[in-house]
Amino acid sequence: MVTPLDIVKKKRAEAINRIVGKGYLSTKRVYVGMATCEIAAGSKEVMEVFQNAAKQGLTDVYLSQKGCAGRCNLEPTVEVVEEGKIPVKYGKVTPEMAAKIIERHLKNGEVIKEWVIN
Amino acid sequence: MPVSKYVITLCDGPSCMQKRSKQVKDVIKVELEKAGLADKVRVITSGCLGMCAKGLIMIVNPGYVIYGNVTEKDIPEIVEKHLLKKKPVARLLIEEDHLYNRFYRVFGDVNFFGKQMRIALRNCGIMDPENVDEYLALRGYEALAKVLTSMKPAEVAAEVKKAGLRGRGGAGFPTGLKWEFTAREKDPVKYLICNADEGDPGAFMDRSMIEGDPHTVIEGMIIGAYAIGAKEGFVYIRAEYPLAVKRLEKALADAKREGFLGDNILGSGFSFDIEIRLGAGAFVCGEETALIHSIEGSRGMPRPRPPFPAQSGLFGKPTVINNVETWANIPVIILDGADWFSSIGTEKSKGTKVFALAGKIKNTGLVEVPMGTTLRQIIYDIGGGIPNDKKFKAVQTGGPSGGCLPEKYLDTQIDYDSLAAAGSIMGSGGMIVIDEDSCMVNMAKFFLQFTQDESCGKCTPCREGTKRMLEILTRITEGKGVDGDIEKLERLGNMIKKSSLCGLGQSAPNPVLSTIKNFRVEYEEHIAAKKCRAGVCEGLVTYEINAKCVGCGACKRVCPTAAIAGSPKTVHVIDQAKCIKCGMCFKTCKFSAITKK
Repeated sequence: MVTPLDIVKKKRAEAINRIVGKGYLSTKRVYVGMATCEIAAGSKEVMEVFQNAAKQGLTDVYLSQKGCAGRCNLEPTVEVVEEGKIPVKYGKVTPEMAAKIIERHLKNGEVIKEWVIN
Repeated sequence: MPVSKYVITLCDGPSCMQKRSKQVKDVIKVELEKAGLADKVRVITSGCLGMCAKGLIMIVNPGYVIYGNVTEKDIPEIVEKHLLKKKPVARLLIEEDHLYNRFYRVFGDVNFFGKQMRIALRNCGIMDPENVDEYLALRGYEALAKVLTSMKPAEVAAEVKKAGLRGRGGAGFPTGLKWEFTAREKDPVKYLICNADEGDPGAFMDRSMIEGDPHTVIEGMIIGAYAIGAKEGFVYIRAEYPLAVKRLEKALADAKREGFLGDNILGSGFSFDIEIRLGAGAFVCGEETALIHSIEGSRGMPRPRPPFPAQSGLFGKPTVINNVETWANIPVIILDGADWFSSIGTEKSKGTKVFALAGKIKNTGLVEVPMGTTLRQIIYDIGGGIPNDKKFKAVQTGGPSGGCLPEKYLDTQIDYDSLAAAGSIMGSGGMIVIDEDSCMVNMAKFFLQFTQDESCGKCTPCREGTKRMLEILTRITEGKGVDGDIEKLERLGNMIKKSSLCGLGQSAPNPVLSTIKNFRVEYEEHIAAKKCRAGVCEGLVTYEINAKCVGCGACKRVCPTAAIAGSPKTVHVIDQAKCIKCGMCFKTCKFSAITKK
């Protein structure tokens, strides 16, 4: 008999496949905070910069939104997660900074230290 | 600071501290130095990581590799094998696939996050809340499946009771017990409600949870429905949270599509569905009986209890009503176990609590810490202390229903009972830090103004009493306080607490009573000396022009009552009889020539 647990495990496997199909295993995953608080701090404009870059052919990057992690006075926040490396967390990101994060970090692998939260 | 390749987190919880976490940290530093890794590896300490039985716990990121039973002599091996040769030390590894602290892999190396333990907020900020696939990948709905596969409803309630989870809305009633009371009722129709009517000024944890991880709340609710035998549930959420509502709607639709909601959930024969009800934002509707009236379509006003909702709630049926954060804890209790959950926290308060840290503090934000953490740890270790070198004055917990605690209570452990004993409450999790620039009388007035506005008017003590208290407070802050006002406030406050119908009135005087208790001298100064030491109460402030005045005339031009006189290039004078204390001159003067007293 198929139990609910079997069903959920199967669903999880399928879900993981779908996420991977969307490029989750790309070298870099970028999360932009998109809760009410983050949006109020300007994250929508930041998200647009990343989305436009993705449209214009930024490759090997998986872009996603996320809820609020709870770091209010440093919002909007953007995380760049790379397998095998400490995730980089940027705070108070503006659209101009987002463009630089794309150029310097996503394309050239340089962590922009002065913007990192720690 | 150079970019770290590794971050080592050492648990510094009370239990691990006994296992020499401090000494181990020193050894790590020495070994890193020897290996030439000192600037490539960051070593940080965390709060309790929740694996006390296997302490000392050490986590190496990236990868979230957990080592247990670590001692000083294991360190060279870990540095050599793991950090230099990238091969984790197998004999010390702990295989843990716990649900809590998920955020740690991403945020653990940031001091603000690393000191926290996250159960309810475990997925907030690390996944796309609008994508059910991401939730499923993080073991989403596995707790529900486990319950439906291998547990009887009574066992679920018993597990939650054993975990020791208490209502996170503030009242702290044992959740499992509430479920058992409701399940026991004979009526075949039962309801379940999620209270997302977050109303405390400055509190936003419910919004964050629903916006960041809506499925956790939904999963918790379905598990609760199974435990009590409810077929219908409601999320009562305020309309001023449009994004939270949108994400919740999306999550409900996704859950339904995936078969987690609706008829015959996952083929188990159990059916349950959830609807959203929007509240108009009345504070009193956070009170459970008022909330129930509001869902029923009536005016949101409370009624006396008993009967409690567990016996007669929504549409007269047995009803379980729990707060968002309470529901978010449920999947973790089911998967990580009641035994684990109850190992976290204090004797009578188990698990963690989310606080919205705000006010005069460096790091504002959402904080989830184990019960038993002290106020000092939250404010200084996580919050980073008071900005601009100001002095700490008080911390206000529990929003308009809570109290202000001065410095001597900073080492109070956070749990329902200790906070109550100190004269405040846990509440739903508002935490406002107050520095020396704030006036406690004005602060109390602010909160009372809020509850007075939000009083529904049904019972006299709350409707009339809070109004009279507010009048007295207003006159004190205007410099018109008279002898006996403090005593009058105390008498009225205690009367309102004892005789009000619902929690709103019963707690409305708390901000006033607790500030009188802890800052009585400030009240006395306002009344007797007509002085506000923080310079906040306008009526008690005098503006004077000092010798720095260059006679530019800027203040004279902005003064709306023509209270300032003086010829150009001579020191001006304020006519105190005409001054309305608007502060315009103070703000305008570029020469610091106006003194505020």
